[in-house]
Amino acid sequence: MASNIGIDRRDEDEVCPVCKSSRYLNPNMRFLINPECYHKMCESCVDRIFSSGPSSCPVAGCRKTLRKNRFRAQTFEDIGVEREVDIRRRVMHILNRREEEFDGKRAYDDFLEQREEIIANLVSRSDVAKTEAQLQKYATENMASIRTNQKIEEQEATSFHARISLEQEEARMRRQLAREELENERREMHAGREDFLSRLAAGTSSDAASIARESHKVQLRKSSARHSEQDRLRQKQAALRGSELKRGTNLSSVENAGPSDTGLIKGLRKIKTPEPEKPYDPFMGYLPEKRDYVTLQQSYPSQYLDRLRKSTQAAAGGFDLREYYSRTLMEAFAGLGCFVEEEIAERDANRSASAANEGAAMAAVDL
Amino acid sequence: MAVSPFASRSPSVTVSSPNAALRLRAAAAQNASGPLATAKSVHHTDRELTEQLNDDVRRKYVKDKRLGEGTYAIVYLGYLRDKPSSYVAIKKIKVNAEYKDGLTMDAIREVKYLQELSHPNVIALHDVFSSKDQNLNLMLIKEADIHYGVAEVKAWMGMLARGVWFCHENFVLHRDIKPNNLLIASDGEVKLADFGLARSFADPYLNMTHQVITRWYRPPELLYGARQYSGAVDVWSMGMVFAELLLRIPFLAGNTDVDQVTKICEALGTPTEENWPGVSELPNYLPPDTHHPLQGRDFFLRMFPTAGPVGCDLLMSMCTLDPRKRTTAVQALRHSWWTVEPRPTRNEDLPQKPGTKKMGEDLGRRGERSMTGCLKMQRDNWTLVL
Amino acid sequence: MIEDDVYRTSSQYRLWSYTNASLQSLRATTNDVASQRVRAAIQRVGEAHLSATPSTSGTPQPGSDGETRKPDDKKIECLTPEEELVLVTYYCEKTLELGDEYKPPLPTMVRATAIQYLRRFYLTNSPMTYHPKDIMACALFLATKTDNYYMSLRQFAAGVPGGPSEEKVIAPEFLIMQGLRFTFDVRHPFRGLEGGVMELSAIAQGEGQAAPHMPSETPQELQRALLAIAPHPTPSSSIADRIGRAHGATRELLKSAAQMTDVYFLYTPSQIWMAAFLLADRPLAEFYLDTKLGGPLTQTTESNQNNLQNPLYELRTKLLQVISDCAALLHAYTSLSSDPDQMKSLKRIAKKLYHCQNPEKVNLKRDLAQPPASATDSAAASETESERLAKKRKLEEQKRSTNDMFGPELVADRTKH
Repeated sequence: MASNIGIDRRDEDEVCPVCKSSRYLNPNMRFLINPECYHKMCESCVDRIFSSGPSSCPVAGCRKTLRKNRFRAQTFEDIGVEREVDIRRRVMHILNRREEEFDGKRAYDDFLEQREEIIANLVSRSDVAKTEAQLQKYATENMASIRTNQKIEEQEATSFHARISLEQEEARMRRQLAREELENERREMHAGREDFLSRLAAGTSSDAASIARESHKVQLRKSSARHSEQDRLRQKQAALRGSELKRGTNLSSVENAGPSDTGLIKGLRKIKTPEPEKPYDPFMGYLPEKRDYVTLQQSYPSQYLDRLRKSTQAAAGGFDLREYYSRTLMEAFAGLGCFVEEEIAERDANRSASAANEGAAMAAVDL
Repeated sequence: MAVSPFASRSPSVTVSSPNAALRLRAAAAQNASGPLATAKSVHHTDRELTEQLNDDVRRKYVKDKRLGEGTYAIVYLGYLRDKPSSYVAIKKIKVNAEYKDGLTMDAIREVKYLQELSHPNVIALHDVFSSKDQNLNLMLIKEADIHYGVAEVKAWMGMLARGVWFCHENFVLHRDIKPNNLLIASDGEVKLADFGLARSFADPYLNMTHQVITRWYRPPELLYGARQYSGAVDVWSMGMVFAELLLRIPFLAGNTDVDQVTKICEALGTPTEENWPGVSELPNYLPPDTHHPLQGRDFFLRMFPTAGPVGCDLLMSMCTLDPRKRTTAVQALRHSWWTVEPRPTRNEDLPQKPGTKKMGEDLGRRGERSMTGCLKMQRDNWTLVL
Repeated sequence: MIEDDVYRTSSQYRLWSYTNASLQSLRATTNDVASQRVRAAIQRVGEAHLSATPSTSGTPQPGSDGETRKPDDKKIECLTPEEELVLVTYYCEKTLELGDEYKPPLPTMVRATAIQYLRRFYLTNSPMTYHPKDIMACALFLATKTDNYYMSLRQFAAGVPGGPSEEKVIAPEFLIMQGLRFTFDVRHPFRGLEGGVMELSAIAQGEGQAAPHMPSETPQELQRALLAIAPHPTPSSSIADRIGRAHGATRELLKSAAQMTDVYFLYTPSQIWMAAFLLADRPLAEFYLDTKLGGPLTQTTESNQNNLQNPLYELRTKLLQVISDCAALLHAYTSLSSDPDQMKSLKRIAKKLYHCQNPEKVNLKRDLAQPPASATDSAAASETESERLAKKRKLEEQKRSTNDMFGPELVADRTKH
């Protein structure tokens, strides 16, 4: 967009260096460049000269061979800047190693510096042949890694957009839910009351209480139905999030292939194939509340505990008899199947064996 | 049930193995059969088995710089004499001149419970030894090099909740959970430390003291003087730590116990017989002057926007006034917050030094701000406890 | 089994569980080391005394001084490991009695902890080195602290018969802690018994839940099976009554026999209460185990083959053996003080101990409370350690006739009134 405006503002008497036609005569004239030589010419010249295949640049003194499909509109007014940006984009497309691939901050910094140097060489046209050869060699040797990193970059860009739209979608759903709920509630209350009143009017006075009770029940049922509606929406959101999560995992599990060090870039980390990440387990493999000897009950008969059960103070303080049940029944069986004689004998045997080994090792050192 | 699959204690100093005992006996016999020494050196060589072992343990460690001082202990950085790269914290129990009744309760509790609890999120007791003046020294692991950096709230809270749950599964109340008592090992693991107020629980008719837990983290039932309580007290503290991590400042910082109650009421609502049956029968209950309504979800969402709705739900369940309605440690770990996005940061990804961690572009500013908040807190931990 | 793995993490399992053989050999080693030291120390004290006498010319001359012990002539008789154990057991009984001196009496759990502290301490320390009468009170005080039954030292010392000073009571605290290897947690069988009785009561009321590995049992079946168990010799009015009686009898065994024998070292708390329960009411105890591990083989003849491979059945067989062994140990205990023969041999041991107590460890307080290098007053500074000890020993020897068997009696005198 910005570039269009830039072009539009150009002098009306701008002239194509090839056909010399001027914008004054042809207000729709567009200028194009080709990143081979960055010589500017008008769109009709490009069509005319290059439509039948590659041809050399018509600008006097330039002998570069140009192809039509490489022509494009100019982004920056300064053709020098245009060129540098192009070079930078191309080099960074190839030298796209990521920070996490390096041994450390230092190695990564060195890499960044090296890349800048290459770009500078190409921009200033010094050592071009050698530099281009290096780049070419690197590109062929590290094709896989380059492609992987390109993919990661793309995904990072899209996941950012996805997250923003996910958040917007969630907010929208919440609003909608709140609206619907309010509406439903109002409608049902209205309907319920009408129904209640008409039944009251029809029935005898002794039925009044039961009718009132029933209508209350209906209300409750309806509200639980609403809750399941909420659940459904929540599930939808979770599914949305889940698909996002999946993309995230793909991203991290992309294989990082290729040689760990390349001729060009130093200090790359040795590549380990990353293990697929296991789901986060809050219990870390422990089995919460699992028992082998006892199935814990909510309550046990005990006269001894009756006084405590009636104590409001203990209850208000949070004292929980289930903790006592759990503890006594843990201690009732903890170690029931530990056979000390057997297990300790085995342990001592292992210990003295390892101690003997240690002794032997020390003796050897002494010699 | 909680059995640590990671139980890896350093071999503790024991005299139980017949080998050790025999070795020492051999040494003693040598002394006895050798030429008679002067009275002074006799006293030196003729030492009890336990004393010899004590010296062996003491010589294993080198005490380095002083890290901090608490009410009952001074903590030093130390390392193994044989392996200077291994760091430990040496906690030296102060001998209180006022206290004539032997070893203080804090030290006894700390040693007693740490000897029994072995879990990645509970500080490990390596050795205990005495120096000349008969102070106790606890060896607490601190592992490798110390570089504290940012940790993400979920990863931290996950580890804290695991540690608390493990204690409760073993019927031990910590009773002093606060940021200063959470140590971060160099591998990023959070370690619950300072068991000076810990005790076992669940016995009926046994009164416990309500004068526990640092005020800002003390639950309302203890402020009201409850003498019979449960694991819920630690869960409240955990909720306060959670809130503090999100806010970057203490959530409810009362100046006095009364002020603390007021702050809780203002923030979360006034306890009443309706929302907390029996509360008015607690010994130190004071009828409130003003009534604040119980805070709902909206309040938490407004106050802790970064936690997200699921995180707020967990926080709210930890900050429930009535201890019976408060979530338990095991329920907290079953909460869906741990498994919804974002995934808790892996320990190895918890940044090592300020600035080195590159946050994703999209997190930008927000991430940076939280980094400074956390860092400050961790530095406090460092000076006070480690 | 998960519960078993929980117990395996305890310091009681890790540090304080022994095989019969390793327990005996550890006691023998401790006794051996202590005996050698006692002999060496008595010799040193004698020599120091001789060399301090101007008339002697450097080389000790055995038999020259009538008042000095003559270690080279007369062999010093030390306690045997068995005698040491009897002595320690006696002081364990005294600890139980000491708990009754307080108002209210100290909780059973506190006393039991103190007793186990004593038993653990004397695995690596000999009564010849540290007299149990000095250790006992302090172990009990330490137990009040570790078991959350806190009282001040002043209050505690006032309850100890003979009214020892607070300093004297607390003096060996660090020594004890060292002997305990700084593990203060003792896993007792009491709470487990409460849990078992609670669950049995639930079964009796038809509210029992099937054990995780026996999921097919219904509360009704459990109740029916409980009501069908073989009767106890003493008939009871109801099953609840029977459970209650077994509960009480088991508790008594756990308070006494379980504390005075080696069961804590050789078995686990759950095995201990099951063994005591077995002694109290065998059919009831066996029924309870069956609800957890399945009945005996004959009950389900059809699935014999399955049962043979059933790991639960294997566990059950092994467990019954272990519990019977433990029960036999508990059953064999009779209290020392109630048995005249045992008291007689105890007196003999006490006399023997008087002669073979390590003279360098007699004054615990001085030994422990001060660093060895610092001297308290100028008079003491001019003396060598051994000289002072020799003098002290002589003084004590003169008082000997007035002392009864353990020197100033701590408990026995008081408990009579």
